[in-house]
Amino acid sequence: MSHPIEVEGLVRRFGDIVAVAGVDLVVKRGEIFGFLGPNGAGKTTVVRMLTTLLRPSAGVARVAGHDVVSAAGAVRRSIGVALQDAAIDPLMTGRELVRLQAVLHGIGRSEADRRGDVLLERVGLSAASHRRVGTYSGGMRRRLDLALALVHEPSVLFLDEPTTGLDPTSRMALWEEVRRLNREGTTVFLTTQYLEEADVLAGRIAIIDDGRIVREGDPKVLKAAVGHYRLQVTVAPHQLATARQVLDAFGDPRPSHDTTVAIGLRSGPATVSVALRALEDAGVPVEQVELDAPSLDDVFAEATGRRLEGSAIPDESGRE
Amino acid sequence: MTAPAVAPPSVFSWVPLALALGRRSLLGIWRIPAAMVPLLAMPIFFLVAFSGSFSSLLELPSFPTDNVVSWFAPFAIIQGSAFAGFGIGFATVRDIETGFYDRLLLSPGSRIALLVGPALATAARALVTATAVLMVALVMGARIPGGALGLVMVLLASMGTAVISAGWSLGLVFRMPNQRSGPILQLVIFVCTFLSTGTVPLADQIGWTEPLARLNPLTDVLALARQGFVGEVTWATTWPGLVALVGGLVVLWTWAATGIRKLTP
Amino acid sequence: MAAAVVGDRDVGLGARAVVEQVRALGLRSIRGTLRQPQVWLPGLLFPMFIAAVNTSAMGKAVEFLPGFDGVDSLLDFLLVASITQSVLFGGLAAGTDTTTDIQTGFFDRLLASPVSRTSILVGRLMGASVTGALQALVFIALYGAFGVRIAAGVPGGLLLVAYAMVLALVIGGFAALLALRTGSAEAVQNMFPLTFIVLFMSSAFFPTESMEGSYRSIASHNPLTWMVDGMRYQVIVGLDWSQAAMSLSWTAGLAVLAIFGANRALRARLRRAT
Ligand SMILES: Nc1ncnc2c1ncn2[C@@H]1O[C@H](COP(=O)(O)OP(=O)(O)OP(=O)(O)O)[C@@H](O)[C@H]1O
Ligand SMILES: [Mg+2]
Repeated sequence: MSHPIEVEGLVRRFGDIVAVAGVDLVVKRGEIFGFLGPNGAGKTTVVRMLTTLLRPSAGVARVAGHDVVSAAGAVRRSIGVALQDAAIDPLMTGRELVRLQAVLHGIGRSEADRRGDVLLERVGLSAASHRRVGTYSGGMRRRLDLALALVHEPSVLFLDEPTTGLDPTSRMALWEEVRRLNREGTTVFLTTQYLEEADVLAGRIAIIDDGRIVREGDPKVLKAAVGHYRLQVTVAPHQLATARQVLDAFGDPRPSHDTTVAIGLRSGPATVSVALRALEDAGVPVEQVELDAPSLDDVFAEATGRRLEGSAIPDESGRE
Repeated sequence: MTAPAVAPPSVFSWVPLALALGRRSLLGIWRIPAAMVPLLAMPIFFLVAFSGSFSSLLELPSFPTDNVVSWFAPFAIIQGSAFAGFGIGFATVRDIETGFYDRLLLSPGSRIALLVGPALATAARALVTATAVLMVALVMGARIPGGALGLVMVLLASMGTAVISAGWSLGLVFRMPNQRSGPILQLVIFVCTFLSTGTVPLADQIGWTEPLARLNPLTDVLALARQGFVGEVTWATTWPGLVALVGGLVVLWTWAATGIRKLTP
Repeated sequence: MAAAVVGDRDVGLGARAVVEQVRALGLRSIRGTLRQPQVWLPGLLFPMFIAAVNTSAMGKAVEFLPGFDGVDSLLDFLLVASITQSVLFGGLAAGTDTTTDIQTGFFDRLLASPVSRTSILVGRLMGASVTGALQALVFIALYGAFGVRIAAGVPGGLLLVAYAMVLALVIGGFAALLALRTGSAEAVQNMFPLTFIVLFMSSAFFPTESMEGSYRSIASHNPLTWMVDGMRYQVIVGLDWSQAAMSLSWTAGLAVLAIFGANRALRARLRRAT
């Protein structure tokens, strides 16, 4: 049987802008696939093409075994979608939206009510289900959006930046829910600009930049491939040159601030003490030391020469 | 893997969805009654203003009635109905811009429901407009010599015009899914309603508007709507109006149906 | 013109500088208008369309109905109506600009600069007034090409331009008042139907002599009727200073009222800002 998502040479142009410039992908059954990239990389454009909302300019995509252009109806029947801007009519109540969503998928009224109750309970919105969505908080909207995407029990779930704008607690809750859905057999395609989210949630990731996939694979393997812990030492300004010379033996230089020297440690964290002793021997007192484990940001930087600046979740450093 | 939960396509019926979408369109009015105000205020204002400002026009030779309110009420109703159709188009632009429309487009069912739903809602809105204007007109002294049949004709023309105008609006909105479509929609509706026999019968128009009004199918629709207000309902006046309505429906809803295909595969 | 506004004294700018600021802010307002054809074009085309349609569809009225003495074509009759309508719509658009300035923070930037408080309002109104003059000239020229002759000749034309300039102060003042009070573009745009109602319930489109009953009495007591009639006299009959004085004094009176209100609204906003 075919894979839930198979993409070959997918391209989308908007006038002169090439938003997606030839993407190949396979997502296997039962995976959580993370699609990571900075603003404007083309994540949403890919999702919109895979979910039949946007016609590809070129290339082929099959979702749940059906072509997204020629068999769009069959694709829509198999997928659940929660788009980036939780598109929810503020005038309707949560329950009315669930009902409408059920009707959109041809589910009968009593069945719709039964499933609606279960889903609203599951995302913790039972109490608010009679309130107009306009009164919901951002987190509640996201959870409602997720519930809506699940009404017809889809086998493939697309989530476009599901946690952007959520506080840490809501984010964790949503992650947990995604994991649970995945355990129950749903294949999940999730886009994010948060490194941590891709790291924690996804079994496999692809990094997209400027419309192209620049890396793909298991996040652990990808990180191991970039591989180097980053060692950064702060020394007195007049000793920067000496420090650089000494540390050169332990790894390649990395960009750093004025009074610091940074390298990618060639042979793992165990050599930190050796490096520090070498500095001491050279008569360079070290004022401060930092050691960072390789992160997906390193993978991204290695692939693109840039960092996913500012998109990192604040307390993310050093996660393995 | 979860079991397929959805009925197979052959059984999938678009009717419940069309009804649900129609209901949602009307829900907006129900929840924010203020939204209905322009829809009612504009035709009522036109009725009052035209009847007041242009009352003496009826002294021109070819006017078939001497009751100015009876003359302008059907025009106000038809114009209000045309703008009700615009309202649906504009609501759809908002849905597209907020992304809500994506949810509808993700429905695996036939696109028919996405068209029929708003059409039903438009007809319902037009009915509200027509009823309100009628009541004001009666209070202002309008007469309906054509009786119940005359009323049926004006309501038919009103709903037909609204649905045709909705077809025009949706067709444009699907091709130009942003706020910029708003002025174009309004302009065309405005021009079409004014280049007709809305204010003055063809025989008394003296310039460039006369041939255009003669060609404008809305002139026939207006005659259909107006006949019961100026005299008896006759088949000779009814059938051209019906032909114009059916023609408009076919053409502009084909325009809408081909438009929605441009949005998604 | 507008009285001095709070803040002037603290700044202590010379009269020369104030004039320069008024000029700069006025030019900015005109430029802002000209650069947005979607704002002013409907204000020109809409009145033209109405005049063109009415002239053709209702043109027979001139022969048959009362109140059209000396009128050759309905277009003669509608020249003043078109100018009035165009200026009213254009002035509202300019009012929306003020709300945009408030929302984008440009207004705060102005307040934070040593610009005289008076020039903010006066500049805006001067801009509106010049735009009004341009609108009047467009209509005089265009309708002239279609055979409309102003009976009062060049002085009559100048009177129309003056009327448009003062009328622009009226609507510009009211729009600025609303914009400064509410800061909401919607509130200003909500005046749009209102101007339409005032226009219709006046002699602008049709003579009051041909109206009936209470509608007629409302229309004949609408100041806009007096403003329009006095100007129309110049177009249809000929130069008449007493008619012109009646029209212009009403217009100027309303302008003073509007500017006074706008000035107070500006003071209120300044107080809130400091
Ligand atoms: N409808 C459109 N018209 C024109 N350009 C578009 C359109 N949609 C997307 N683009 C462009 O395509 C590129 C990719 O956009 P896309 O929304 O796919 O990025 P993204 O990765 O989802 O970014 P974000 O993280 O900000 O959501 C951007 O340069 C964007 O400006
Ligand atoms: Mg995106």
